[in-house]
Amino acid sequence: MSTTPRLKPPSATSTPDFGTYLGYIGETTAAFFDLYAEYWQRGVLPPDLKETTRLRNARITDCGY
Amino acid sequence: MNNPAATPSTTSPQAGLLEPLFASRPELWTRFNAFYDSLWTSGHISRRVLEICRLRIAAIHGCDRDWRFRTADVFLTEAEIAALHGGTFSIFDHCERAALDLTEKFPFQHHAITDAEVKAVEDGYGSAAAVALLTAVAFFDVRCRWQQVLTPSAST
Repeated sequence: MSTTPRLKPPSATSTPDFGTYLGYIGETTAAFFDLYAEYWQRGVLPPDLKETTRLRNARITDCGY
Repeated sequence: MNNPAATPSTTSPQAGLLEPLFASRPELWTRFNAFYDSLWTSGHISRRVLEICRLRIAAIHGCDRDWRFRTADVFLTEAEIAALHGGTFSIFDHCERAALDLTEKFPFQHHAITDAEVKAVEDGYGSAAAVALLTAVAFFDVRCRWQQVLTPSAST
């Protein structure tokens, strides 16, 4: 798997990372983080269970981010 | 609609199926639909490209409900639909094939996606469109998995 940025960053001075790329789709990114915040801040599942499953999912999919 | 606080999605193939499961969390359902709808309405990439990639993901997963759903205002020929079902993309143009080649690997071979495959999409549609497409494909994949885990009978 590549370790170099695969897409051009939005500007020449931008750091080519995940967050910067999401800047390309600002409206969608804002909607996603609105959803994500709702998921983490409320609900019936305890936060430690959510975090445990998040980390396990990252491990299984080999996502170092 | 079970909860008046929730907002119906016009782009979701699973609204009728999943919505009752969110009856106790309508605010989460509303936000998910707002996010999912934005994938289709942001204008970074055409709804046609999104639709062919969505259908290919559904075909890969054997996700019957997603496969049968058709996004409004996107017309695909029977030959194109058959090609998406079978995974042969020669009927599509160069840029659409690039999008489908990348989509093909997303569900079960995401580490095998190459720099060249991402570049082909970026060259064809631009950087913002490439980010929009990758994000949308990720959530097409999510929704099939989500649906099939929650309702295994939805599989073909």
